[in-house]
Amino acid sequence: MKRLRRFLHTPEAIAGAFILALLLVMALTAPLFFPGDPQAIAGPALLPPFQDWSLPLGTDRLGRDVLAELFHGARTSLAVGLAAAAAALLIGAVVGTLAGFAGGLVDEALMRITDAFQTVPSFLLALAFVSIIGPSLGVVVAAIALSAWTGPARVARAEVLSIRERDCVAGARVIGMHPLEIAFREVLPNALPPVLALSSVIVAAAILTEAALSFLGLGDPNRVTWGGMIAEGRAVLRTAPLLSIVPGVALMLTVLGVYLAGEGVVESTAVRRSLS
Amino acid sequence: MSVLAVTNLTKRYHRGGKPFAAVDEVSFDVGPAETLALAGPSGSGKSTIARLVLRLIEPDAGRIDFEGANFLALSGAALRARRARLQMVFQDPLAAFNPRATVARVLDDPLRIHGIAPRSERPHRIAALLERVGLDTGLAARAIHEISGGQRQRVAIARAIATRPSLIVLDEAVSALDVSVRGQILELLLDLQRQERIAYLFISHDLGVIRAVADRVVILDAGRIAESGDARAVIADPQSAVGKALVAAMPKLIRNRP
Ligand SMILES: Nc1ncnc2c1ncn2[C@@H]1O[C@H](COP(=O)(O)OP(=O)(O)OP(=O)(O)O)[C@@H](O)[C@H]1O
Ligand SMILES: [Mg+2]
Repeated sequence: MKRLRRFLHTPEAIAGAFILALLLVMALTAPLFFPGDPQAIAGPALLPPFQDWSLPLGTDRLGRDVLAELFHGARTSLAVGLAAAAAALLIGAVVGTLAGFAGGLVDEALMRITDAFQTVPSFLLALAFVSIIGPSLGVVVAAIALSAWTGPARVARAEVLSIRERDCVAGARVIGMHPLEIAFREVLPNALPPVLALSSVIVAAAILTEAALSFLGLGDPNRVTWGGMIAEGRAVLRTAPLLSIVPGVALMLTVLGVYLAGEGVVESTAVRRSLS
Repeated sequence: MSVLAVTNLTKRYHRGGKPFAAVDEVSFDVGPAETLALAGPSGSGKSTIARLVLRLIEPDAGRIDFEGANFLALSGAALRARRARLQMVFQDPLAAFNPRATVARVLDDPLRIHGIAPRSERPHRIAALLERVGLDTGLAARAIHEISGGQRQRVAIARAIATRPSLIVLDEAVSALDVSVRGQILELLLDLQRQERIAYLFISHDLGVIRAVADRVVILDAGRIAESGDARAVIADPQSAVGKALVAAMPKLIRNRP
């Protein structure tokens, strides 16, 4: 409770938390409010918003319910963003820990691989990955994770380099603990805080990358995505601009919310650390 | 036969681009159930020797024989298994344990790693270890940072004796404790030595403590052995300049006590 109050001590954090909560409610209630296929035809095509209260935001070019699409799109964005960020953080933490803890050749090899991934623009990497393997939710998650793990890997490695000199690692070696157990049980948990501080940026970037992939038609075709909605709306941009603007604003607010809430968390932990 | 025999051990580091020997051709041995003290001013190489003996760092030259076998020849799983017999107690037990660990986990690790007791039996073993070092068994559930410095050093000793070692290296193990606690811990160490026949490589800059616990002493100066011999004899009549300086820094009361 105290932690929550400290987290909510800035207006930015409150705004971020509010947006995220709204998004979460949308994602969780989508199948409740809009059961059935959001991609099914619900009414006449290109019905403007606020005309028919059974279709509050109107319909798109094919007569699909825009509000239903928005809710189901929140589900996809959030799921892909969180899953990809979690995967990226996990891969990064493991690679960084192994490199930093093993040192020598292992470190060299892993860091050259990290360099290689980092020199390729991350969006191109995700794009190439999806176009080769084919668009499905799992592949999109993997592609985004693959393009985002290098940052966490570097941060984890730097942290591990300082932790491995501590007496507790020497103590673990003295009792004969296996190096892998030392790396993952003694070192990694202590190296996590600065790595986790990256998560808001990574989640935000993952949501944007997913939207961009969908915009280019490389999202999972069986899912509604905000990126896909923007792309759809492009064809009727002059006559029905709201079809692109609504998902665009939703996307922007989401990224903003994730970022603000992330900053709030980082700040509140910083306060906690300086207090203790 | 000695438990530990160190021959011409050398470790070089670089300082300002130039190599210098932190440990320079050092030789000594420790007999069974004997306490050999390493003394010397700050930077004389005491901790480096401890780390070399424990294979936490590798020497540039020299030989380490432990329990009659070449200790430097071991690696991987064989080395980890052998570590059961050679333990260490650090100066700051708070730094030497995972800060997130509980007392029970700290003591469980060596028992599990060396297969000393099956999982179901380990809680009893942990309780027995705590009792052996004079701690309440209720302490097992506490986090490491929730107990006092003296209790923590007792836990460190319990962890060191968990695998029934023949040698324990103690690097300034009592230096951070206040005087009354220090006396109790030294008592405990001597008691353990008598009962379990453990040898100690006892590192300290405090000749008063060394005089109280050590059989023999090696005085180091800038990585080299300045002098060595029976602890009381050396402290009563040091021959080397460093030895004289260290003795001069002792409180008179302790120095002249019979
Ligand atoms: N990793 C290292 N790299 C470079 N020099 C080192 C390293 N470790 C130790 N040294 C140097 O080796 C010398 C011996 O250090 P050591 O820690 O063994 O001294 P010590 O006798 O334990 O001193 P103290 O009583 O202060 O603990 C010192 O000059 C130290 O600066
Ligand atoms: Mg030292």
